[in-house]
Amino acid sequence: MVSISRRNFLIATGWVAAGVTGVYALSKHAVAVAPTIIFPDETSGAAWVQIRPGGVCHMFFPRVDMGQNANTGLAQIVAEELNIDVEDIQGVQPSTSDVPPLAVTAGSMSMTAFSRPLAIAAATLREGLRDRAAVKLGEPVAAVLDDVGGFQTSDRRKVSYADLVDDTVLVIERESDQAVPALYAFDSGRQKTQVGHPKSPLGIRDLVTGGRVYTADVPMTGVLYGRAVQPPVRSAQIASLDTSGVAEVRGVVTLVEEGDFVGVVCTTPSAVDKAIAQIQVTWDLQQPITEEEISRLIDVDGKMAAGDLEHILQDKAHRRNADWSVDLRFDVQVQTHAAQEPRAAIARFNDAGADHRLEIWTGTQDPFGMQRFASMDTGLSESDVVIYPQRLGGGFGGREHYEVERDAVRLARAVGRPVKVQWTRADEFMASRSRPASAHRIRIASDDQGNLTDWWYGYVTGHVVFARERLPGWLLPVARLSDDSGVVKGAIAPYQAPHQRVECEDVDLPIDLGVWRSLNGASAIFAIESAMDELAVLQGKEPVAFKIAQMQGEQPRLAHCLATVRKLSAKRRLPEAAGYGRGFACGIYDGRCFVAVSADVFVDEVNQQINVLHLCCAQDVGMAVNPDQLRAQIESNLVWSIGMALLERFEVADNTIQSSNFDNYTIPRMRNMPTLDIDIIDQPNLPPTGAGEVALVAGPPAIANAIRDASGFRALSLPIRFADI
Amino acid sequence: MKVRVNEVEHHVAADWRDETLLTVLREHLGLAGTKFSCGIGQCGACVVHVDGSAINSCLISIADVENKNILTIEGLASGDGSLHPLQQAWIDENVPQCGFCQSGQIMQALALVGDKPDPTDADIDSVMSGNLCRCGTYDRIRKSIKKAALVMRSTS
Repeated sequence: MVSISRRNFLIATGWVAAGVTGVYALSKHAVAVAPTIIFPDETSGAAWVQIRPGGVCHMFFPRVDMGQNANTGLAQIVAEELNIDVEDIQGVQPSTSDVPPLAVTAGSMSMTAFSRPLAIAAATLREGLRDRAAVKLGEPVAAVLDDVGGFQTSDRRKVSYADLVDDTVLVIERESDQAVPALYAFDSGRQKTQVGHPKSPLGIRDLVTGGRVYTADVPMTGVLYGRAVQPPVRSAQIASLDTSGVAEVRGVVTLVEEGDFVGVVCTTPSAVDKAIAQIQVTWDLQQPITEEEISRLIDVDGKMAAGDLEHILQDKAHRRNADWSVDLRFDVQVQTHAAQEPRAAIARFNDAGADHRLEIWTGTQDPFGMQRFASMDTGLSESDVVIYPQRLGGGFGGREHYEVERDAVRLARAVGRPVKVQWTRADEFMASRSRPASAHRIRIASDDQGNLTDWWYGYVTGHVVFARERLPGWLLPVARLSDDSGVVKGAIAPYQAPHQRVECEDVDLPIDLGVWRSLNGASAIFAIESAMDELAVLQGKEPVAFKIAQMQGEQPRLAHCLATVRKLSAKRRLPEAAGYGRGFACGIYDGRCFVAVSADVFVDEVNQQINVLHLCCAQDVGMAVNPDQLRAQIESNLVWSIGMALLERFEVADNTIQSSNFDNYTIPRMRNMPTLDIDIIDQPNLPPTGAGEVALVAGPPAIANAIRDASGFRALSLPIRFADI
Repeated sequence: MKVRVNEVEHHVAADWRDETLLTVLREHLGLAGTKFSCGIGQCGACVVHVDGSAINSCLISIADVENKNILTIEGLASGDGSLHPLQQAWIDENVPQCGFCQSGQIMQALALVGDKPDPTDADIDSVMSGNLCRCGTYDRIRKSIKKAALVMRSTS
């Protein structure tokens, strides 16, 4: 249902000041504390498409762009419905005052959750305009046919959208009990001009010409520069503080101390660096920040020996004592986002009487979360706070929290002038909410034919979605009674056995934790796919056929990916010489995204290194809205797979974070690149599945399995170093 | 103090003479296309050309480039708006994902093709490995460099 008040809301924002707007059932749910989790569905949601005077199509982008370019795919869907070209759509990144709350951009959900509501909004608009065209042409609606950018009759009389739209405000609404108009984008029998075509990301020219698209690029009159000291973990409290040297630094405007917050505001960026260097601070910690402490906390074998783990995810005729064919423990390291853009924010306070008392420019995955937290932090009402979301220089799950924004707000409030905060790379590492370390015990038993009889998988990891400092302290114990949706990602294997148990436990680690690409998916599936590969090797079976057989027909889409990637890999001959190996792995992300990867590696004894030579990927994407951008996301996931399998390790020691820059946290570089061969399995009759964090679940185990094939070494912990072999 | 950026002479105010070239470009001269990412010359996001050589602008003081000719990403396209072959290849191959590193990638690639008009994979590995891309667009960067180099060879 669309109520009058919602319509008034749209008019009040100025969004429907003129022209015709297609609206699809706006939602106004209660807003969660964090992160914002309102997704559109069949009866609620938010999607805005408008034809403005002159016939130009505007749409509010419902997602923030961080490289996944989901808005381009969504615009293609709108363009398909409206019979226009995606290049002709003028996209607007809405501020928090332009639209009702929209969900955090996360979870590879953009295409899955938004494609259909947007298609309905655009199709509703099209059909409303068709009614107008019928009046204008003096024809029955059924005689008004589609045309590019408008309509036509069978005798070629044309009317364009521009002819149908004037300066009066008209909102075309679809009530929830009305039939859904024909959706061209989802009609698999239709010849499409937009959907399914490899369109360039909207706005790409700005990205290669130095356009101002990121937070720190926003010009701001009278801006000052500031930064706060980042603690090694957010629960840390200041034990000792010496700021006596700050006053000596030229260009310091003020020093701000509020509880455990200490920061400076200066006239130039270099003055900020010098002033921060003069702040000596030591921290009181709740837990020691050491590798030993992390290992102790995730000791899966100790916990499984002591009894059931905290969360039982699958339990089917479980037997504790089977004749285990495989009984292996896998350990996965801490990893962090290391997005190329260190976070930045600009905050400006305005006098009473201004539209907004507080304005914040920031690249965040959750603009509405920022609005709520800034309101709580300052005591201003939410309507007094506006967030202008900027493009993110990489997100990967790491940008959902009120952090750099908080620094900017507190410093701007202290000086009464706009303040830009640009975190350093060291700040970025220090304040990262990393993917937790985890330990996995997998036991598999099989019968005489090699078929699985028992599957017992237990793992211990840090919290993810319910990590400390992600939710308010009072809410955490309540939230943690239920399964953490990040912790359980990937835990249920696609393989069938009469006796199955999957259990897990999530614990507080001494570092800040949070959402990282694929959440627990890549960790769990590394363990599962390594164990299954080992079982195939022990049985002398070809791993792809073995895995498909053990799915017992229950996962046809995944099995098809696996069979497809085997074919892809066979296009390239693996050298017979010692040291070369090929491995396979597959996985399901979030129950809806299916992928398989093969890896060719060379374990180079002479140069003492592991080289990934070639990666193939077959991914079932459902309906492929933009094949080229799907391919780009798969390429990205494959590169991350190399980082996770071989390079990246977030180092802690001596009660602090040791990883501080790209010289001591190694991510893939050009020289690490293998050749890639990617097959996108398009299923035009099925909804788009998402791709942002999918192939990463299968890449690392494929590399590990290739190393097993090449050298006989079974990698039990990530990252794999040559010295391990 | 004066610097020449993209063939335009700029005056650097006294307050900004202790800054890096990167900070002056971004915060003082309003040329925000060059990016800050690591601050220690490990990632290449801030690459510009000084008198024809690619350098990390986060590592060099503004005082050290006084009266030198600086080229940034904003100066790469022609005055009429037509893109440099590298920029065009970047668009044709849809290289950028988040896009943050791409100014630096393009400026580093400009140095590469200037030095090696027909770069091999080994040349690309060697010259481009100082430029990080967390999104992992390396495969497309490699293709774009080869494509642009071909265009530049055929038009020179």
